[in-house]
Amino acid sequence: MTFGNIFRFELAYQLRRVPTWLYVAVLLFIVFFQTTQTFLPDARSGGYFLSAPFVVAQITVIDCLIWLLMAAYVAGDAGARDAETGLHPLIYTAPVSKADYLGGRFLAAFVLNAGILLAVPAGMLIGLYSGGVEAPLRGPFRPAAYLTAYVFIALPTVFVTTAIQFSFAVLSRRAIASYVGAVVLLVTVLVASIVLAPLLKPDVVQLLDLLGLTVEQWGEGTPAQVNTRLIGLDGSWLASRLLWVGIAFGTLAFTYVRFCFSHPTGTTWWSRIARRGDAHSPTPAEVATLRPTAILVPQAPRAFGLATRARQTLAIAWTSFASISTSWVGLVLLTVVAAIAALTVFESPQNLGVPLLLRTDYVLNNLTFPDVPPAYLIVPLLIVFWSGELVWRERDAGVSEILDAVPVPEWVPLLGKFLGLALILALCMAVRMLVGVIAQVSAGYSGVEIGRYLQILFGLQLADYLLLAVLGLVIHVVVNQKHVGHVATLVASVISLLGTELTIVHELLVYGSTPEWSYTDMRGFSGSVAPWLWYKLYWGVWALLFLGAARLLWVRGREAGLVVRLRIARERFTKRTAWAATAAVALILTSGGFIFYDTDVVNEPATADERIEQLAEYERRYGRFEGIPQPVLTGTNLRVEIYPDRRAVEIRGTYHLVNRSGVSIDSIHVATASGVETDKVTFDRPAATTVADKQLGHRIYALAAPLQPGDSLDLDFEVRFEPRGFASRGVQAPVAANGTNFTNAWLPAIGYQPFRELSDAEVRRAHGLPPRPPIPSLDDPAARNDVTGVERIAFEAVVGTDDDQTAIAPGTLRRTWTEGGRRYFHYVADGPIGNEYFFFSAAYALHEERWNGVAIQIFHHPESGADLDRMVRSVRASLDYCTAHFGPYAHTYLRLVAIPGQGVGLRAETSTITYREGFALLRPEDDPRGFDLVFAVLAHEVGHLCGAVSYARVEGAGVMSETLAWYRALGVVKAAHGQEHLRRLLSWMRESSMVPPVRAAVPLLRGGGEYAVNRRGLFAMYALSEYIGEDRVNAWAPAPCEAHPSAEPPLPTTLDLYRELQAVTPDSLRYLLHDLLAANTLWELETVRAVAEEREAGAWQVTLDVRARKVVVDTADVETDVAMDDWVQVGVFAPAEEGQESGRPLYVQMHRVRAGEQTITVTVPREPARAGIDPYHLLIDLATDDNVADVRRRIRSVAP
Amino acid sequence: MELQIRGVSKTYSNGVQALRDVTLTIPAGMYGLLGPNGAGKSTLMRILATLQEADSGTATLSDPSTDSGQAPSAGSGQRIDVLRQKDEVRRTLGYLPQEFGVYPKVSAEELLDHFALLKGIAERRARKEVVEALLRQVNLWDVRKQKLGGYSGGMKQRFGVAVALLGNPKLMIVDEPTAGLDPAERVRFLNLLSELGENSVVLLSTHIVDDVSELCTRMAIIDRGEILLETEPLRAVDDLRGRIWRRVISKQELSALEREHAVISTKLLAGRTVVRIYSDTEPSPGFEPTAPDLEDVYFSAMSGHIGRRGEQPESAVRP
Repeated sequence: MTFGNIFRFELAYQLRRVPTWLYVAVLLFIVFFQTTQTFLPDARSGGYFLSAPFVVAQITVIDCLIWLLMAAYVAGDAGARDAETGLHPLIYTAPVSKADYLGGRFLAAFVLNAGILLAVPAGMLIGLYSGGVEAPLRGPFRPAAYLTAYVFIALPTVFVTTAIQFSFAVLSRRAIASYVGAVVLLVTVLVASIVLAPLLKPDVVQLLDLLGLTVEQWGEGTPAQVNTRLIGLDGSWLASRLLWVGIAFGTLAFTYVRFCFSHPTGTTWWSRIARRGDAHSPTPAEVATLRPTAILVPQAPRAFGLATRARQTLAIAWTSFASISTSWVGLVLLTVVAAIAALTVFESPQNLGVPLLLRTDYVLNNLTFPDVPPAYLIVPLLIVFWSGELVWRERDAGVSEILDAVPVPEWVPLLGKFLGLALILALCMAVRMLVGVIAQVSAGYSGVEIGRYLQILFGLQLADYLLLAVLGLVIHVVVNQKHVGHVATLVASVISLLGTELTIVHELLVYGSTPEWSYTDMRGFSGSVAPWLWYKLYWGVWALLFLGAARLLWVRGREAGLVVRLRIARERFTKRTAWAATAAVALILTSGGFIFYDTDVVNEPATADERIEQLAEYERRYGRFEGIPQPVLTGTNLRVEIYPDRRAVEIRGTYHLVNRSGVSIDSIHVATASGVETDKVTFDRPAATTVADKQLGHRIYALAAPLQPGDSLDLDFEVRFEPRGFASRGVQAPVAANGTNFTNAWLPAIGYQPFRELSDAEVRRAHGLPPRPPIPSLDDPAARNDVTGVERIAFEAVVGTDDDQTAIAPGTLRRTWTEGGRRYFHYVADGPIGNEYFFFSAAYALHEERWNGVAIQIFHHPESGADLDRMVRSVRASLDYCTAHFGPYAHTYLRLVAIPGQGVGLRAETSTITYREGFALLRPEDDPRGFDLVFAVLAHEVGHLCGAVSYARVEGAGVMSETLAWYRALGVVKAAHGQEHLRRLLSWMRESSMVPPVRAAVPLLRGGGEYAVNRRGLFAMYALSEYIGEDRVNAWAPAPCEAHPSAEPPLPTTLDLYRELQAVTPDSLRYLLHDLLAANTLWELETVRAVAEEREAGAWQVTLDVRARKVVVDTADVETDVAMDDWVQVGVFAPAEEGQESGRPLYVQMHRVRAGEQTITVTVPREPARAGIDPYHLLIDLATDDNVADVRRRIRSVAP
Repeated sequence: MELQIRGVSKTYSNGVQALRDVTLTIPAGMYGLLGPNGAGKSTLMRILATLQEADSGTATLSDPSTDSGQAPSAGSGQRIDVLRQKDEVRRTLGYLPQEFGVYPKVSAEELLDHFALLKGIAERRARKEVVEALLRQVNLWDVRKQKLGGYSGGMKQRFGVAVALLGNPKLMIVDEPTAGLDPAERVRFLNLLSELGENSVVLLSTHIVDDVSELCTRMAIIDRGEILLETEPLRAVDDLRGRIWRRVISKQELSALEREHAVISTKLLAGRTVVRIYSDTEPSPGFEPTAPDLEDVYFSAMSGHIGRRGEQPESAVRP
């Protein structure tokens, strides 16, 4: 009864307040925006309905996140309003039980929050039917989609987070604690789950998933699937939901136990400990006698000048800082900041779980731009919290009226609070620095650069946070209502942080938006700080202007109405204020103008939409020239001048073109690259310019005399890359003071470039272009003959660069000399190379070794910490293996070149492998998982280079390149480290959630996405090599090389691979080849029970009860059972020895296994410990745990 | 109705011993607890109002009348252990704390209605009547629709009184109630309280001596956590007859006088100082005997001339 009353009262109370409806309104708006803007293009291009359950789920997940932060006050108010308003003595003495009181309040908060989240389906429906979305895209109205998303995603999340917010508020007696608790929970869960993903199995990662982020997986598959598949609670997701609901109940129970209807005594646990045995009487009261004045209060001089003001400001700053940092909340939050910093520094998901050398620039990059985006949010979210706390501190304590009457101008407390907040943020930076330095020192790295820490953390990052701090303070002062101010600050911070990404508004209009600075060891800041400074100056002046406005509108005393405040503001607006404002505006206009000039006027970048329109126009105008006879490029001769200081490159080049088409050609089409200036295009014979379309990058030259078949001509050109203004700085810039790398994409190309065509089906439709499949079908014969992009050319280049740098181009280095203060390098390629190559220039150090006449060269950044020996060893082993099995290595050198950037990515192209700086930090010898991932990855890259063929750009191309390179790498690993090491590597690849498995896909022959190409494909090839025999599988490899030498049409496809493999597969295993490659087959193999019985001494009979099933899964995720009579390995293993994971095999043989349940009996010489089918997971089975089971002993009764 | 407090002690976690072995017997009617600030009054009030725990001691609320026609809500007229049976106590408790806040955005009528509901008046019509009656009684009926955030201090106090009066409590605990009221409000409030004293225990804690003298049939004086004196006001005043003396002096003479006599209070009168002293015997000439009042009782107890502190035999306390 009382329960219902409390519930209803709370519900009615909160429903009547503006903030509650404000939350609903904000959510509605955001959902509407998402439906009609953010998700619309994806739905269009993906071909699924905008109302697909997957889209509803995604929107629900994102909005749960937003709700969690924004509406924290709902639960907070419900839990702590009595304590905060001081009504608690009245309520606590009413005859209400704890359960009724807490239960009623919590239920009201939960119902309110659940109601607020109804804004999600409501907003979606409004968005869908409001007219911005065309009917076909809208899809049929399926209440089930909204219902399942709401019930399975929203409600559990709401329940759990409301419980946690409520508990925090009740136990701390402060409403804002619910926000703090939510932030801590959210960021910790997000960061932990993202960081730990590569280390844990997908099931465990899903358990951590409070917010339903793993809903991403529901978007896999074909459009039809996405449209129909409802979100369902199954398996590990159900477990995760139940786990979190359990945690919520536990928290509520804890709150129930700890809460009591008592007067808060307000002493901290510390003082309790410190003064335990010190009981004393209260200070005595004086008897009411008058005393002659014995105490004289001295007359102190008072000053009201600037010095005093400064001192007062600093005092306020210090007390603000102290009040935040010494409260237990402050300490907890600082600990959270430290914990998240530690998580991101020690475990970046990018380094694949391999231990790293903690170089300073790596640590700093992880601290400031973590790979885990939620980690970046922690300090901004805390700024939202702290700015509110500081502005409301006096009013919360009830001391505001006294303070408002002291003779201090408004700017003193405003500035003082800002400085206090700045101090706290500096403390956060200090905490981060401490974490980083400790991480480095404890990992044994000796080159800690403290100066760099100070520069980056206290200079660059602190400035960002200070701008946000100003925003928070100003909004709270102006809005003057705690809950609305909280929402407003949150929204403003989000817009400030993400504004330029979410919308197309110019950077100068989104408060705080600044181009990113970047720092790496190799490249330094590379000029990215200069534009940053300009922007910061611009925004800094804006911030000062905002602070001035806040000072004018500062609430003093009881006048809180807006009209009155405006009037008071006018009174406060003195001549000095006017001067200051004018100066500020002038500064804004100058700096803003300069920035605008440098970004927009000088460079005239095109927006994304303009770019798309240009490409569409290109296709419309010149598409008819596709495939017309054009001469083929056979030789390139270049003179390249790199100017690292100016960040410019000048290239003069000559193309040697040959007419191989069989008809005479009368006009040459030249496609010029964007972002560079191409001019002085001349031929070695008379030619007239018919078309020179500079904007779209296409020129047509009519030859005076047509080029006859078999004839050749030379084309000269000049290309200049010299960007101006701010655009070309930072890590992504191609040319920099140290660490230049660019491709030949800047050079002109011959003919119409189909690569430029728009690929997105929806965008094509919008621009009136006929549809075109993103990648040609495997059966398309024309595509196999399409040799654009795979021509082989003779190459020669002279590259000039600064005196202290080394320039690298394809080919062997013939000569190097110095001229005019610059160094020149002459490279000549020994044989034909592909028409995609790199140029590099940096202050490299060269490490060179030889292998059988091939020069292994590593151009590395000195002191980057790269383990050069390991890299060379891997390359050697790869070359050994590949040349033994797959054919000779065609070039005289194999180069590894370091390029700037924090990632660990590698890329292989024409006998050169580039690696990013982060790769140099990997320390696989410390890897506890027992395999050398670096070795494998490098072998994979070398695998790209040797034995590779030019393949057709059709479906399955990914298999031809990536999967086969991985297959070769597996062979290298096995040859160098052994079968066990390889098995561990494969086991990690199977179980890590980095590339999660996909059930519904096309067969491997047709490609099929990242999982197919990078995992399933190589598992299939490995299985084949185990079944058929490695030598046989490797034996096919040279064949395509011979059948298709050096890129003549028709180019090989996966069908050729399949045919060659068929040739080497015995008849009995042809089915396996089909199942693995030509169909999307999944096996489900399970050992239900394994029992062993000792028959005689030395003979154990093992009986296995197994269950097997084979299905083919199509792209709609529909399973079809297939008849099974397959060869499957059966394995029995001895008990594991000390330090080993599994015992040595006692029996491993192939058995015929059919679908359904069956029993397999084998005999082994020793007592077995584990037994099962397909113990090495050769067949593709997504459930890897149940193949092998522990063996139980059966004691056979001895016959008398 | 009787409240028996035996040996209640409490020490705060910062070391302050707020209550030291407090023993009182409080019959039905108005009982005044007098003491200076920091004496422990509020602590005792909160302990009795179930908001704080005592370290030791007992407190029992009992109805000695064996008439079982009592309403079952008040613990059926049995004994209630105030310190342990918190729920039962709350059912019959009316507590007006020294300071409290309100929900600023709710009107008085709504919040009082809510409290009435919380205190068990479930039936809507009855509740409405009770709310109306109480609001009229505390003179807030005209402003009942106004939001509580706009109430003056006195109005808030009256609202608190209304809440405390809900449900006809048998145990009323009123902590410094008249501190913020203007004279007219104070009189009205005291009138209100006096009507209550018929059937319930009303414990009034205050440092305003006049409240006690006007209203209370029994009183206790508390200082530094100890009960100095437990008596009836009239009797205490009576006992002091002939022992309080008065003299008008100048400021400079005060220190000398203090050394010789037991000065219990000083006042100002037209620029000169009036001292009152306690003396069993006639003091030096210049002092005139004067009729004692409750204030003198209070100051004498505080100075230790009477009551426990002075180790004087207490006046016989009739239960």
